[in-house]
Amino acid sequence: MVIKIVINNKEIQAKKGEILLEIARREGFYVPTLCYLKDKSYPKNPCGICVVEVKGEGIVRSCNYVIEREIEVETDSPQVKNIRKKILENLVANHYGDCKAPCHTPCPGGLNIQGYIGFIAQGDFKASLALIKEKLPIPAVVGRVCPRFCEPVCRRSLVDQPVAINNLKRFVADYCLEHGELPLDLPPLNERRVAVVGAGPAGISCAYFLRLKGYRVTVFDKEEEPGGLLRYGIPSFKLPREVLRKELGNIFNLGIEFQGGKVWGRDFTLRDLKDRGFEAIFLAIGARKERFFGFQGEELAESGFEFLYKFNKELINLKEYEGKKIAILGCSYTALELSRVLRRLGASVSIYYPRSRMEVTIPQREIGYAEKEGVKFIYVTAPWILEKLERGYRVTFVRTSLTEKKEIKPLPETAFEEEFDIVFRAWGEAPSDEFKNFGDLEAELETTAEGIIKVNPQTLETSVRGVFAGGDFAHGAKTVIQAVAAGRKAAQAISAFLEGKPLKKALITVKYDFSRGKRAEEFDSNFLDLFVPEERAQLKERDPVKRIHDFEEVLIGLTEEEAIKEANRCLRCGCLGIHKCDFREIIIKEDVGVSKARKKIKYAIQKSHPLIEVDLNKCIACEKCVRICPYEAIFFRVVNKGTPAEYITFRFTERCVNCGACVDVCPTGSLTKKNLLVPYSRSEAHAVKSVCGYCGVGCNLTVWVKNGTILEVTGRDLPPNYGFTCVKGRFGFEYYKSPERLAYPMIRKDRLREFERVSWDTALEFVAENLMKISQEYGPESLGFLCSARCSNEENYLMQKIARGIFKTNNVDNPARV
Amino acid sequence: MKALDRGAKCIVADPRRIFFAERSNLFLPLRPGSNIPLLNGMAYVIIKEELYDNEFVEKYVENFDSYRHYILSEWDLAKASRYTGLKPFLIEQAAYLYSQAKSALILWGLGVSEHRAGSYTAMAAANLATLCGFWGKPGCGAMPLRGQNNVQGVCDMGGLPYVLPGYQSYLDPTTKLRFQEVWGTSLPDREGKTLPTLLREALSGKVKGLYAMGYDVAMSHGDIGVVWKALSNLEFFVVQDIFMPLSGKYAHVVLPAASVFEKCGTFTNGERRVQLFEKAVSPPGEALPDWLILTKLAQKLGYNWNYQSPAEIAEEIGRVWPAWKGILHSRLKERGIQWPCPEEDHPGTPILFTTGFPKGKIHLAMAKHIPPFEEPTSQYPFLLVTIRRLNHYNVGSMSRRCPSLKKLYSEPIIDINPEDAKEFGIYEGARVRVWNDRGEVIFRAHLEERVPRGQLYTDFHFETALTNLLVSPGLDELMETPEYKVSAVAISLLS
Ligand SMILES: Cc1cc2nc3c(=O)[nH]c(=O)nc-3n(C[C@H](O)[C@H](O)[C@H](O)COP(=O)(O)OP(=O)(O)OC[C@H]3O[C@@H](n4cnc5c(N)ncnc54)[C@H](O)[C@@H]3O)c2cc1C
Ligand code: SF4
Ligand code: SF4
Ligand code: SF4
Ligand code: FES
Repeated sequence: MVIKIVINNKEIQAKKGEILLEIARREGFYVPTLCYLKDKSYPKNPCGICVVEVKGEGIVRSCNYVIEREIEVETDSPQVKNIRKKILENLVANHYGDCKAPCHTPCPGGLNIQGYIGFIAQGDFKASLALIKEKLPIPAVVGRVCPRFCEPVCRRSLVDQPVAINNLKRFVADYCLEHGELPLDLPPLNERRVAVVGAGPAGISCAYFLRLKGYRVTVFDKEEEPGGLLRYGIPSFKLPREVLRKELGNIFNLGIEFQGGKVWGRDFTLRDLKDRGFEAIFLAIGARKERFFGFQGEELAESGFEFLYKFNKELINLKEYEGKKIAILGCSYTALELSRVLRRLGASVSIYYPRSRMEVTIPQREIGYAEKEGVKFIYVTAPWILEKLERGYRVTFVRTSLTEKKEIKPLPETAFEEEFDIVFRAWGEAPSDEFKNFGDLEAELETTAEGIIKVNPQTLETSVRGVFAGGDFAHGAKTVIQAVAAGRKAAQAISAFLEGKPLKKALITVKYDFSRGKRAEEFDSNFLDLFVPEERAQLKERDPVKRIHDFEEVLIGLTEEEAIKEANRCLRCGCLGIHKCDFREIIIKEDVGVSKARKKIKYAIQKSHPLIEVDLNKCIACEKCVRICPYEAIFFRVVNKGTPAEYITFRFTERCVNCGACVDVCPTGSLTKKNLLVPYSRSEAHAVKSVCGYCGVGCNLTVWVKNGTILEVTGRDLPPNYGFTCVKGRFGFEYYKSPERLAYPMIRKDRLREFERVSWDTALEFVAENLMKISQEYGPESLGFLCSARCSNEENYLMQKIARGIFKTNNVDNPARV
Repeated sequence: MKALDRGAKCIVADPRRIFFAERSNLFLPLRPGSNIPLLNGMAYVIIKEELYDNEFVEKYVENFDSYRHYILSEWDLAKASRYTGLKPFLIEQAAYLYSQAKSALILWGLGVSEHRAGSYTAMAAANLATLCGFWGKPGCGAMPLRGQNNVQGVCDMGGLPYVLPGYQSYLDPTTKLRFQEVWGTSLPDREGKTLPTLLREALSGKVKGLYAMGYDVAMSHGDIGVVWKALSNLEFFVVQDIFMPLSGKYAHVVLPAASVFEKCGTFTNGERRVQLFEKAVSPPGEALPDWLILTKLAQKLGYNWNYQSPAEIAEEIGRVWPAWKGILHSRLKERGIQWPCPEEDHPGTPILFTTGFPKGKIHLAMAKHIPPFEEPTSQYPFLLVTIRRLNHYNVGSMSRRCPSLKKLYSEPIIDINPEDAKEFGIYEGARVRVWNDRGEVIFRAHLEERVPRGQLYTDFHFETALTNLLVSPGLDELMETPEYKVSAVAISLLS
């Protein structure tokens, strides 16, 4: 019987006996729910979040409200909202977890660190690399040079030492340079063209992400080879040229054009590029202008940056520096790399730095390497006067202290002199604004007070439409990962610009991110006690005495075993149920902040189930798991629900058949799959329709795929299985990435030989030839063709068609008997 | 399961006290190899007590009288009880429970098929359904729970020596014409050979070449030693698979195929439901989907095959088999369709035989009891039954390679009754040797109350324990299915 009801003033046809919540959802009204399960019983303690207001009856739960007569409903009345909020606040007060891993936040590249470490822990290095590459196209480079913004905040340091995040990245990058990567899902090139000026990390990553979207990209650089400072700044003992060549080669091989030896301002202007059909331009020419400290005679010193550039281009006479006494003024990246190069050329090197060691802006670790190689560091000492002598230099230094504003204050009374064969300046670099007079469009490019090109911080677009800028050129000399991040950001903005769409803004959710604590002192030590201290993996460092005689790489990467072991040190801070967390979604929707969340752990994390991890600190006691389980395999009890004294008991009984239905239905991260170590969001994954490849029931599955990797499998709510599966459906997909998979055709002439790998053409010709020969010699009856209960209908059809249509035999059979 | 929640009744017949036994209304722990005595015993009760659906029988059954005579004269309860080891009242109770239901479904797994009398058993089960008129209505019928995921589909597609796709006869002239038109070539008209025959003839040198796609003959077949000999006798042997199969040892060519996640296509489940699966990820290295390999091979053989996608192939299937005409990939994006589906807007056919039967009348088969090929002897006192573990699948080439599943069950285990174990000095987790004349296999023992005395249960999921070496050479008399379920073996503790 049809009954008319009214929801939020809209008239709706309902059937007598229908559930109000179902109607509201069907009609697209927002009514949150945490505990409702269609066709199942209600929990002993319902969540109550589904309340609505029915005129004349007041507040009711919509999930068990059966339509009997005409009613008027309001789903968002102030009273309803109020009740929801109260319920959520109560749940929040009892929740202890980290929605997101702390390491994720400071990484300029925005890498899914916990995720790629999770893949490594499972030995799935290619998937790990694919996850990294969704944000960072040059991981073998960054894995060697990154200052590591993430490691200082790594939670593991509260237990012992941070996870070796960057070395793990280097490991998978190197592994894949050797063993190949997962194939990329590359769209064909379209006709829209973008020019990138500057082939440093910023330009390259912009080109890479534009190519992934199908745009036709040309990268111009004044050098013959791409790489920017990676090639002409950073020396080979830190970043071997072979690694750089391979990693960049992989990128340009995707169909990105590189034009070397083309100088912006000499060979072309922005106007030229536009005229040649480039619809957008990304400027990333880095920071090349040398910085000066400002003292008498400074210009007489040699330029460290220039030296490195020439050295990397092999324009330096290496013999010249042997036995020389050299001073380097400043402690920039340039200074440090320079000092180590000079040590390898046989010079004695001292670095003078006006501040203390702790104030050096490059990682302390780098100083350590230089020290070991015999570079001397003289801190809190500034050059005062430099004189050029007949042979060599004389420098007058002064000691320094700091003003209240932390500026350097020279102390003239401490002056002392020192003579050197050579003195280098190396205070770092800054972007230049000489582009202003390259052409008419260039003249329109606005600059900041410091003479740096001005960009919109969200889009990196300059004052000229369609022209974007980033990396060191727009942000000042920074780091490789920051340049990469800028390149990716620019690619997104350029793509939005080309499509004429607004740039998608990432939702800021910090307010709703549960956190077990930020600083060590607010952290519950009981939680940390769950973890056993274990030593952090160290890279092997070549003996300094030996390594200063060559330019080979100093640090040796982790082995497979070391990497897996190190990856298992990760505490897996970020919630591994975030992709299915309805609770979080509702909190955000209802704008309930989580600052009042519990800061103490209440339940130990249960790891005894072979496939499922239970963290009751995140349980909201909705009892969905208990009610969905077809085997009654969960013992569950909650007392004092919704109060601070709430206590939950949860146990899998031996009836559990590991099907995983409870995990998938759990609306929080309380139940998670042990084989899913990668936090992800459902919106960034593809939901692929599949059918189970194991048994003849033919369960419908959804396969969640990201970056060419299956993350997990869930049941699909369709006949015959209605969302249920057995353990193989949900957990039995892992075989597809087994290293034992056959990947290449192989043949052999006779059984005494080993198989040899051949091309498909050779293999199939061999098959065709031999089958033909047998058929001709002995007749078609001497051949047999076996179909497969594993293969698709279409494939089996073709197999029997080959037998019957081509070889004219009915000798076709299948393993139905097995 | 859902049905049980709603209060359906359930009879379980299994030598072991399986999970469902606990949820059943009646549990029948029969002796292995005695399926037909049980079913015929039930038929005896149903006929004797006139519990059958008279109206249905009169309307549809052509040989009720001879069947009635066969059952009443050959299958009295005492005999059924003797063979099955079940008390007569249990068989009686089962017969009542089944025949007096409003609707009833008989389901079976490989415990029925993998016997010498496997096909007869299926017929005996179908007979019961016929007697009680349980056909053509929702929740009725008799059906095998098909083992592998596409075992239905592979038969539908003509992966059988005696029929074309759609179980159509290669002798029927109109069918033949249709195929010739679509394929543009002639069809063979001699009946083909089953795999067991092929293997036998390989042994004798008559069959020279074999092409096995996704089928590890050397591992999954019974009495495996002889199979190996047959395979090594082949002049040319091609295997196409996702992992190196055991058969690879005997092969000349190994072709790497894509797994189900790496290609698209359809599978047909035991309810004839054709379901689409889509490509999720790329295959490793140079591996290709089987359909593409076969297409390329046909090209090398000089045929102008030009399939661009499985969807195109599906369309062609609909042209040679009218019941598949409406099965188009574009229609399967959301949910599957059950064939027959003769038109592009046909909804599919969830229930067969609603309006009658293909041959008009039902013929009740005289299901004979054939005792298993082997019976335990003093030398080999145990009856070995092969099963599948829930956590694994068949030869295990896939499930063994899933770390999660491996965690649940990581090595070959044999289940033995605790009393028997005690007698042989076998303890939980002990390493044991199981052997007969055909070979020997090492397992870890698990003491299991649910296993009846005198029996051993294990799987064949592992390459390290090739259970099939031990399996009896018995074959189903009609279908030649190896008798996986009953073999005589001895067991001893490995010191
Ligand atoms: C010696 C040294 C060591 C460093 N070590 C590290 C480190 O260990 N870790 C770290 O994170 N960062 C390090 N850095 C910083 C890092 O290299 C830079 O932040 C990063 O390379 C900036 O990238 P970019 O793409 O913006 O510019 P660049 O890498 O400078 O690339 C700019 C490109 O533009 C080209 N170009 C310039 N002018 C023109 C023109 N007019 N026309 C056409 N092409 C032009 C250049 O040839 C170059 O290829 C180091 C820097 C130096 C100098
Ligand atoms: S322990 Fe793992 S997830 Fe947590 S901060 Fe460190 S690397 Fe990130
Ligand atoms: S474990 Fe998950 S599904 Fe179960 S009661 Fe807790 S929150 Fe609900
Ligand atoms: S269960 Fe949900 S709210 Fe809780 S930590 Fe996980 S994602 Fe955050
Ligand atoms: S009480 Fe209605 S959804 Fe929880």
